[in-house]
Amino acid sequence: MQLDSARADRVAAMVLFAIGMASLYGGWTMDRLEVRRIHPASIPGLVPMILGLLLAVCAGLLWLSARRERPAAEGGAGMESWRDAGVALGLCLVYALVLVGNLTFFWATAIFVASFVAVFGGAGGQGGRALLLRLAAAAGFGLASSGLIAVLFRYAFLVRLP
Amino acid sequence: MDRLTEFLSALAGFATLAALFHVSWATLLGIFVGSLPGLTATMGVALLTTLTYTLDRDTAILVLICMYVGAIYGGSRTAILLNIPGTPASAATALDGYPLAQRGEAAYAMALATAGSALGTIVGIVLLVLLAPPLGEAALKFGSFEFFWLAVFGIVISGQLTGGAAPIKGYIAGILGLMVAMVGSDGIHAHVRFNFGLSELNGGIGLIPAMVGAFGFAEVLTVMWRRRPDVADLRRGADRVLPRLADLWRYRWTIGRSGVIGTMVGIIPGVGEDIGAWASYAAARRLSPERAEFGNGSKEGLTAAETGNSAVVPGALIPALTLAVPGSAPAAVLIAALFIHGVRPGPMIMLEQPDFIYSVAAMLFLATIAIAVFGLALARIFVQVLKVPREYLMPVVFALCVIGPFALTQRLFDVWVMVGFGVAGFVLRQMNFPMPPLVLGIILGDLLDKNLRRGLTLSDGDLTPFFTRPISAVFVALILLTILASLPAVRRALGRLLPAARGADR
Repeated sequence: MQLDSARADRVAAMVLFAIGMASLYGGWTMDRLEVRRIHPASIPGLVPMILGLLLAVCAGLLWLSARRERPAAEGGAGMESWRDAGVALGLCLVYALVLVGNLTFFWATAIFVASFVAVFGGAGGQGGRALLLRLAAAAGFGLASSGLIAVLFRYAFLVRLP
Repeated sequence: MDRLTEFLSALAGFATLAALFHVSWATLLGIFVGSLPGLTATMGVALLTTLTYTLDRDTAILVLICMYVGAIYGGSRTAILLNIPGTPASAATALDGYPLAQRGEAAYAMALATAGSALGTIVGIVLLVLLAPPLGEAALKFGSFEFFWLAVFGIVISGQLTGGAAPIKGYIAGILGLMVAMVGSDGIHAHVRFNFGLSELNGGIGLIPAMVGAFGFAEVLTVMWRRRPDVADLRRGADRVLPRLADLWRYRWTIGRSGVIGTMVGIIPGVGEDIGAWASYAAARRLSPERAEFGNGSKEGLTAAETGNSAVVPGALIPALTLAVPGSAPAAVLIAALFIHGVRPGPMIMLEQPDFIYSVAAMLFLATIAIAVFGLALARIFVQVLKVPREYLMPVVFALCVIGPFALTQRLFDVWVMVGFGVAGFVLRQMNFPMPPLVLGIILGDLLDKNLRRGLTLSDGDLTPFFTRPISAVFVALILLTILASLPAVRRALGRLLPAARGADR
């Protein structure tokens, strides 16, 4: 499914409507702090309720406008690569959610950068020697850039690294 | 005269080797960031903010402003040479810049872009110095009712102008931003809302992690999603790298008009540089005797677009400083940075730190000189920057996106927030939801929430003062007009009445 299509807009409208109703419900059921004798017009759930209602209305309007539009052509040959974006997303998630915090920042970053360069820098020559050179370049770049970032933040900006 | 003296005095305060050193590296870095497709001004300012914690207040703000000015200007490089705007602000630049590059006039196109950017920023600085103090004083008359409507107006106008053909998506983005701001302790009773049992959310969602995610990580994914473009050959451009004074004189009205339009667009909350460029470009095309050339390599079109987008920078700082309402996404980050460094933007700034506006004007002026010098002197060298492979650049950018938000609070939770906003930002962008209203919503959420409830408390639950106080009534009228103008039937009617206005859309 293309993300800039009428169909995607209809799915988004449903999700947004659900979020809007959830916010409305959350605001309605939120503690009204009667025990603190606050003014009833200043209850904490007031604005979440209004925003939830507005989002639900806007989601309805989005649904209607998506119904009127003709669906965009699916699978058109664009200037984009979902495979590359997906692989990049996977690498970034592993780095940010798994490696950082479990390994020292230097090693986590070095592994991430080297992997990224190795995966996407594959336009070089064929054969085992070319592959080895590419991996060595990726590892070298990963170590150098990670070292630079770690030193910069640790010693220049006095940040305790994760 | 007093204002000129204040400005010159502020400028003299930066006449130190250390300040000039900071201006140089930060502007160069900004041009570098803006030049690279995928690195935007907002991302640059957000990432650099995380590096300024240890700097003193003036130096920190100076480097951030230099980054902002440099990045907006730097976006023209890619627009001219690749036909891909380095930042969204340079989209209009590509229309005429790339055809000029294809004709072998790339270097001259970049020289014109440099002159346009510098002159546009100067027009904006003049208006900043003239308009910010009276606006700040006027803002002192704002009460809760007016601030509530100001926040609503910001979201509505930003959603309307950045939503393009589908303003509803702009409105939705703004509401989502406001909802994000509802997370955490509320500003009146300190009641914790929507923390989902996570104590890390009690203080709310940090603006910097959210911005770094929405503009940094999302850009990394977008760059990897796009295929690599071809770079125009600068060697064919064996033309001059300095703008001809005759050309600048010929386009003096275009430059002046675009500077004023850009600054005014900058003052409108949450609209930003791209709209400033398009509005200036459309006005220049309507009024130019050479309008047939627009889109085919018009030097006037290029100058108008670049003057317009650069003039937005000082313009966006006017409401940011005097109302704490950002005129653009990078200005939103700057507001966060100002708070971090102990400056409280808003109406009280004219009472608490009246000199600060002149300091900001002086910082902008120094950044302008730096882009003029570096832009003209290093035109050919910057082309090499465009050849940095994305597979080397993007992982480093993402590593900075991770460590930057962590540096602020030392919490891994903020890294997860960054990741969440990055993925959401990427998906929303692919679905053509604009990001500026979302960011503005996060900034304005607290203002809107507190002032609605405070106003209702003051009026004992009566809504009448929200509509009858003079400034409130003006805001209500503006909001209604803006929403009416977004209705398809009204747009069609306006299009029939003002055929020329259609061209202004794009």
